[in-house]
Amino acid sequence: MNKIYKIVGNLSALAVTGLLVFSCTSNPDSAGLEYMPDMYRSPAIEAYVDYGEVRGVQNDAMKNTQSALTPPKYTIPFVGTDTSEVLMSLPYHRLPSSAFAQTHGLFGWDFTKNKTADFEYNEAAKDKNPLKLTAANSEAVFKKGKELYTANCQHCHGEKGDGNGPMVTSGAYAGVPNYADRASLGDGQMFYSIYYGKGAMGGHASLVSKKEIWTLVHYIRKFQNSAYGTFNADGSSAATATAAPADSTKTAAPKK
Amino acid sequence: MMYLFQTTKQKFMKISLNQMFKSINKWCVGAVAVLLFSGSYNANAQGEALFKAKCGTCHQPHKNGTGPKLFEARKKWADGGAKDGSIYQWVNNWQAAAASDPYAQTVSTWAPTAMQAFPELKKEEIDAIFDWVDSQPDPAAAPAAAGGAGDGMAAAGEEVEEEGTFNWIWILLGVIFAVIIGAVSGVRRQLKSALNEGKDVEDLTYAQEFRTWAWKNKIYVGIGSLVLVICLLVSGILGLGNIGVVEDYQPSQPIEFPHEIHAGINGIDCKYCHNSVTKSKSAGLPTVNVCMNCHKQVNGRTPEQQEKIAKIYEAAGWSTEGAGGYTGKTKPIKWNKVHVLPDHVYFNHSQHVVVGGVDCKQCHGDMTKQKETARVVPVEELNKIEGNVVLTRPTLTMGWCIECHGEKSIADGPLDSKKDGYYDEIHRRLLNNDKTLYKKYLDDGKVTVKELGGWECAKCHY
Repeated sequence: MNKIYKIVGNLSALAVTGLLVFSCTSNPDSAGLEYMPDMYRSPAIEAYVDYGEVRGVQNDAMKNTQSALTPPKYTIPFVGTDTSEVLMSLPYHRLPSSAFAQTHGLFGWDFTKNKTADFEYNEAAKDKNPLKLTAANSEAVFKKGKELYTANCQHCHGEKGDGNGPMVTSGAYAGVPNYADRASLGDGQMFYSIYYGKGAMGGHASLVSKKEIWTLVHYIRKFQNSAYGTFNADGSSAATATAAPADSTKTAAPKK
Repeated sequence: MMYLFQTTKQKFMKISLNQMFKSINKWCVGAVAVLLFSGSYNANAQGEALFKAKCGTCHQPHKNGTGPKLFEARKKWADGGAKDGSIYQWVNNWQAAAASDPYAQTVSTWAPTAMQAFPELKKEEIDAIFDWVDSQPDPAAAPAAAGGAGDGMAAAGEEVEEEGTFNWIWILLGVIFAVIIGAVSGVRRQLKSALNEGKDVEDLTYAQEFRTWAWKNKIYVGIGSLVLVICLLVSGILGLGNIGVVEDYQPSQPIEFPHEIHAGINGIDCKYCHNSVTKSKSAGLPTVNVCMNCHKQVNGRTPEQQEKIAKIYEAAGWSTEGAGGYTGKTKPIKWNKVHVLPDHVYFNHSQHVVVGGVDCKQCHGDMTKQKETARVVPVEELNKIEGNVVLTRPTLTMGWCIECHGEKSIADGPLDSKKDGYYDEIHRRLLNNDKTLYKKYLDDGKVTVKELGGWECAKCHY
């Protein structure tokens, strides 16, 4: 009897040590011990805060709910009190066609009614860039444009705008157009394509603000016409913004 | 040999004039075909260039995209009962073709994007494009021919597996060792009891045995336990120092995202996906629509890649059927946050990236080489990166922040040639109020973050 007890005792001791050894593997999703956990979790409205646990209070209904949300429809960002800046930030007046829901995932957006798919895109050719280039601001606009272009466009469209970005040269992506071949596009059409997307390109409305898109339009024009946005000594433009697309259609015409 | 020659000679004799004419005809056709074939090398290059310039934006050889796939389109049109030459008319002016040919009419129902007209393309040029497209192998049919990117990922997977087996070997060794100890001690006890059989000696328990042994060797046991206690104390105190240190923290992710392929091989700027880094406190995780800006077309070369990208499609509500399209049924991806600062620390990305001009790699390491999921890179690895300020404290601890604030100079102050910096106002005030202070700051030739208040408690804790 005593022997059986011993065997059982030995076995259970072995089992306990075994359990201890196995429990040593830590949870890889835990960052480790914290000194004062109640000072770690934010009860404030912040990005990526789990509202399922605020100040130690568990709320199962809120666990794993999405905390980063899109702003309500028609919200306008505060950009100061400069009228031209405010006007630029108003909701975009050109709407996508309802086909964009299926092709570019724009569900919940406002769509054109009773118009062909490309109607608004073609109309957008009339829109002028509201961000006026002057001798005073052109340097700053192109500097900002380069910054934005490097972060948002370059990996596909290439450093020189020839459609040979690292994404294309690595073989991951194909069919990126050369900006020089698209010189006949209007400023507004460029804006429309960046905002809602066009063909294989997705919409970039969530990534760049409207002012930033207009800045990019200026920067892209520079690829098509190197004289674009340069000014003579007297402050008059060497190649005006309106002349650039007209010029390029003329030069493009003989190609056909 | 002789015989062979004779038979051919005989055969030649038998060929009638008519047959001879026919065979010459055949030879001619063959020669022309060979000529055409040699010419097609040039045509191929021309076709490729034209395809990329004119068609590639919307069409792909083997995959439906904005436009339908073009592989063997001419055959498809002929099989579909299109009129001869109607496909060329279509490329030049699709509306005219649709009006005259019923087959072209059915093609024109492709939704939602209508094709552009290319009146400048000649028939030979269109043929060159189609020839090039038809000569393209289907990448989906040969997933084995995966590129370097896929190989890199497979290698990473193997590494993880190896680590797993390594752990199991230790556990197995431990179990075997425990069994051996148990068996040996059992044998020893049995021998002992056999030795004591018949004698009137009480069976000692393990504890009693240990006690008698410890009493016999009390000096050694005393020194041993002292060493043990000191060891435990030291490791305990050191362990306390590790609380809240998150170096090497690498939580699991719903999709094992390789930064190497995206930021390294494909050269995507960090700021494209972590878009709010220049505008906000948090750098931001990309929303799925940003992933889809590329992954609408890029669906992976290896099965592992395809599996991961399928998870993006599920989240974005993208259906790969037909030309592909969004269904509107979206589902967020639940990423695990890697760099978590406690709530009592204020940290702002835009302040550091835009104003301070700090490169991402100073704190996050070289992500262009990160093959596995993201992790908190230990300070030793950060120090090895060129251009980084060398620090000694563990990553993401307060000592680490403070050390950098004491080292790093303000990039865009009046010390900078451009003089358009964010800190101009502070420098101006310093110059106007207390010039001795400003001189003191300039002693070492740089103005550090600390000298502008970067060591004040309330900068980060409030």
